[in-house]
Amino acid sequence: MDLVLQLLFTGIGIGAVYALVALGIVLIFRATNVVNFAQGEFSMVAAYLMVVFAVDLGWPYWLSFLLALAGMALLGVIFNLGVYYPLRHRSFLPVIIATIGASILLANSVLAIYGPQPQVLPGWFDTPGIQLGPVYLDSQYLLIIAVTVALVFFNYWFFEKTMLGKKLQATSQDKEMASLLGISVSAMIMITFIYSAVLGGLAGVLVAPVLFVSIQMGSTIALKAFAATIIGGFGDVAGAIIGGLSLGIIETFGAAYISVPYKDAFAFLALVLLLIIRPQGIFGERVAEKA
Amino acid sequence: MKLTRRDFATGIAAGIAAPYLIKSANAQGATIKIGMCAPVTGPAAESGGYAVKGAKLALEAVNKAGGILGKQGELIVEDDQTTNPGIVLAFSKLAAQSDIVGFLGSIRSTQVHAMAPDVIKLGKPVMIGGTDPNLTHMGNQWLFRFRPNDSYSGRVIADYGVNTLAKKKWAVLHSTDAFGTAGGKALTSALEKLGAPAVLDQGYANQSQDFTPVVLAIKQSGADILGSYFTFENDLGIFARQLRQLGVNIPWVGSPSIVNITALKLAGPALYNTYGVADYAEDSSEGSKAFGKLYRDTVKVAPDNQSSWPYDAINVLAAAINKAGSTDAAKIREAILATKKFPGAEGEYNFDQNGDGLHGYNIVKNDKGNIVFDKHIEFND
Amino acid sequence: MSAPSENMPIAVSVPRLKPLLLRHLPYFIGAAVAVALAATIQFDGYVHNILMQATTFAIAVFGLSVVLGLCGQINLAQAAFFGFGAYAVGIGTADYHISYWLCLVAGCLIALVAGAVLGMSTLRLGGHYLAMVTISFQQIITLVMINAIWLTHGPDGVSRIGRPDLFQSAQGYLAFCVAVLAIVGYAVWHLPDTRLGRAMRAVRDNELAAGVIGVDVFRTKVSAFALSAVLGGLAGGLFAGGFAYVSPDQFSFAESVVFLTMSLLGGVASPIGSAIGTGLLILIPEWLRFLKSIPGLYLAIYGLAVILIIRFMPDGIWGFFATAFDRWRAQTKAPPAAAALQLKPATVGGDIVLEVTGLSKYFGGLKAVDGVDIQVRRGGVHALIGPNGSGKTTTLNVLSGLYKATAGKILLDGTDITTMPPHQRTAAGLGRTFQNIRLFRSMTALENVEIGAERPGNTMIGQGGDAALTERAMEALTFVGLGSRANQLISSFSYGHQRLIEIARALAANPTLLLLDEPAAGLNSTEKLELHELLKRIAAQGLTILIIDHDMTLVSEAAQHITVLNFGRRIADGESMAVLRHPDVVSAYLGTE
Repeated sequence: MDLVLQLLFTGIGIGAVYALVALGIVLIFRATNVVNFAQGEFSMVAAYLMVVFAVDLGWPYWLSFLLALAGMALLGVIFNLGVYYPLRHRSFLPVIIATIGASILLANSVLAIYGPQPQVLPGWFDTPGIQLGPVYLDSQYLLIIAVTVALVFFNYWFFEKTMLGKKLQATSQDKEMASLLGISVSAMIMITFIYSAVLGGLAGVLVAPVLFVSIQMGSTIALKAFAATIIGGFGDVAGAIIGGLSLGIIETFGAAYISVPYKDAFAFLALVLLLIIRPQGIFGERVAEKA
Repeated sequence: MKLTRRDFATGIAAGIAAPYLIKSANAQGATIKIGMCAPVTGPAAESGGYAVKGAKLALEAVNKAGGILGKQGELIVEDDQTTNPGIVLAFSKLAAQSDIVGFLGSIRSTQVHAMAPDVIKLGKPVMIGGTDPNLTHMGNQWLFRFRPNDSYSGRVIADYGVNTLAKKKWAVLHSTDAFGTAGGKALTSALEKLGAPAVLDQGYANQSQDFTPVVLAIKQSGADILGSYFTFENDLGIFARQLRQLGVNIPWVGSPSIVNITALKLAGPALYNTYGVADYAEDSSEGSKAFGKLYRDTVKVAPDNQSSWPYDAINVLAAAINKAGSTDAAKIREAILATKKFPGAEGEYNFDQNGDGLHGYNIVKNDKGNIVFDKHIEFND
Repeated sequence: MSAPSENMPIAVSVPRLKPLLLRHLPYFIGAAVAVALAATIQFDGYVHNILMQATTFAIAVFGLSVVLGLCGQINLAQAAFFGFGAYAVGIGTADYHISYWLCLVAGCLIALVAGAVLGMSTLRLGGHYLAMVTISFQQIITLVMINAIWLTHGPDGVSRIGRPDLFQSAQGYLAFCVAVLAIVGYAVWHLPDTRLGRAMRAVRDNELAAGVIGVDVFRTKVSAFALSAVLGGLAGGLFAGGFAYVSPDQFSFAESVVFLTMSLLGGVASPIGSAIGTGLLILIPEWLRFLKSIPGLYLAIYGLAVILIIRFMPDGIWGFFATAFDRWRAQTKAPPAAAALQLKPATVGGDIVLEVTGLSKYFGGLKAVDGVDIQVRRGGVHALIGPNGSGKTTTLNVLSGLYKATAGKILLDGTDITTMPPHQRTAAGLGRTFQNIRLFRSMTALENVEIGAERPGNTMIGQGGDAALTERAMEALTFVGLGSRANQLISSFSYGHQRLIEIARALAANPTLLLLDEPAAGLNSTEKLELHELLKRIAAQGLTILIIDHDMTLVSEAAQHITVLNFGRRIADGESMAVLRHPDVVSAYLGTE
């Protein structure tokens, strides 16, 4: 039983990381119908920014945190203008490839500027964790879980209760109608990219103390996060969260009870099975094409 | 569609010839050229940098001491991108330059395997750092190894743990890539020969983000000592932290990555009091101390095995060419194989007929972040 | 829009083209020269390796040009299929000493089956979902390659891979690869003009329409995947023999992305584009080696280049040139003259061509169509009308199989088609046009209509050979008055004319019943008059028409029989004039006092 509890905590912890990244992917997808293959690199860039501010320059942790997120907002703007916006009328495939190109560009630019050595980022708390009975709770994972829960509520409040949030929803559901109502579609899309980039950056900054800061840290998480979005249901925010958490748990228990080396395969097997049985994911809606 | 294959092939040929024509205009025969394939890009870019530094340090010293056959030595580096096709292309590019007399290959065994057919075709000596024992036992007479291979590392880990630390219930943890699998195999078979078969043989995939299941498996197996083969320091760092968090404090003897600078930085206190087998240990010999001082003074960081073996490789190669008195490949080969009692940074080189120069490992201990030399274990069979 | 006297057959001969091989002789000569060059020029090791890599990768990328370029289905697992071929040759020759040729064939077969299996996932999925499934497949295969050590040697890889005895030398083997490349390139080059190729293009351009005009969409997609996989496997087998060593890290998702990028860079739809993309993406990193001093710099530039090319050259480099060339070629090629169109609809089941009983379609709680009966009498025009939202288009969609009926029965000329998928209904004799014109935009008018003519069960095309299809398509186009513009791309036609091409496409199939969905939408009054004339001519040949439209003038003049729907129910049915004066119908449209 101790075993199960410990595995459960870890599964939820890593699942929360996937959920955070998945959230960013889903938001961009809902607004633009595009899967952003560079979402993982957003996390990586933010982590490096944190290292530059907090470790290299020695600035206070909270300040570095805010600056890193501000940097991500800027990156979101640049990304939108440079990658998505010029291709917005094309089919989804060129955009996917452009985002893949962007991910290569981002990863290697950081490599060229900062160098290949992995970096250490201290966590938020000085105590690394607490022992609760038989289970060890890593403090950074606790923080990640807490932030994810907070984000769920925040997203709900933002999208359902604020005007801006509703405008964003309208734009993602029907661009033409939204613009006819006077909503600036391009502004909404810009805001979406900024928010997604900040979310991705948040995930990176939170997880960096646990997984270390390296050039590849983003891509390994991102692929799992994509799988999580589909497991949860591609268009849905709640789906991203549930999908991420489920994936973390499936992986951890799969590794413990079935096979450690094939751990990554469970994620993809789950994905394939789900797509065969229930393509719309746990929460998604069927979308039929108008004849 | 009138663009035929012929036009295209001609275009490629022209495109490739151009830089060649430009290049061959310079540097005719004034130097002795040594080629080096190193990962300048890709996941191993960091270690590639160290390797090139080590080689260059050695070459500078050789040149200052009179050079090779009276001429200055020159190092030509090509990026192998840390991939197999990459090193094949890098090596073939170097091989095309007929005035290169010897080569430094890769520390990654799978890359050496990939370039091996081209090495045989070329017929010139290639110094390698990869530790897969097969590399010197597959009939390729042009590969010379400058690190002790994994059959030795496994035996040294087992010997130290069973005989010096007196622990017999082993958990063996290894990555599932080529290096980890071979190392794990070497360790488990050495343990069996010493009468202490492993109670847990656990593989893990590289770039795992979480090792909780592995740590719990170790706990459950009741092991009283851990032996490991980790390829990447990221994984090592995460694992080490989680191991301590979940309260496992058994003795731990690991493959060389456990004492790399990066691993120490990432894992910090989690690696205190662990042991590692290190082909390079600064205090293990006069040669290693000298290299350590030289490297620190020039590069300003501590050296490790990424830079030590290329350093030794250049020195042995230069000495062999000088002894052979010619750049003829067969003569150089003979001279290398005849190299005995050569003091290098990695240890004392005594080449056997297979091309292995080293036959033992150092045991070092992580004493609160400082790597302290413990003893050297050598096998003479 | 006036047409010549199409009721008077003019004796013309369809011009015969020179035999295929003769026309393409220049290609074969060029290929032979390339092979000879490869066999004789002494490349140094470096150049040789680059050419070997480029040749084998190009074949794999050809596979992508089929599944992605031609059929429009995304495949991010090409490296896995490449790996199947490579390992088959590797394990077979190195471990079991089986002949290279047998191993190569085995590798291709394994890849073929795997590709077909992956293709079957397209039954339910498309777009991003399909991308994710292919990625998952790729990841699982890579993991198996690494961990199934007993089979694949795991991460150590397989070395000492053999080559065929005939081509042991480096030059001989390279020449062999170039020869295979040339042959495969030829096949892929001509695939778009074959029946399967046309079906793939139809699926890519407009999946819904493709199904409705008789293409078995699912089977086409599976074939595309299988074909792509076979080419990947073939390429992998050649690669293994060429480099003599393979290991799992060469067949990972990253490699699939490389293949995909090569494909898009050069131009996804053509083998020449694939070759260019492959060549560039192998050479660029080599050219940029001088940037190696700063790690990451040249890959960063590579990433940037990908973005720029996708942005500024969307059809890839070759596509950029090819579209210009196509446009020029379409202008200059004169279409062959055609005989008069003959429509011989089947007449099996008595007087009623279409018998619909109790048809219902519910969307959750919404009853879009509720217990509707329709009998369409043979010959003449029958109209289905009703105010907006009455369920007309839904009924039409259920009839053509795009929606599944919740209840009811549909009999077409005596055959029960209630549960048949769209392409089978077409085979049974149903033809249809769409309200929002669904033509295959990348093709010419002639090609669009030819696909229509390829309906299984079309009795008017003899054996179904290319010449017969072209002839039938030309007849249909001439019938609607557009014969002289047969070789122009769809984009150069006006809206009204596109509608006519859609009708011609349906007519070419020689249907038993023609469903027209709002054919008058978007036409001006002159065009509507001409449409009316066209309908009369069609009906005059005995083809039954079921038409939905809002234009009361057209409906009242063209149709003999009208069925009226309101709120999903039938409220009137009978002879046109009577129905239009029916009080229920009037109040449905105009409301009551």
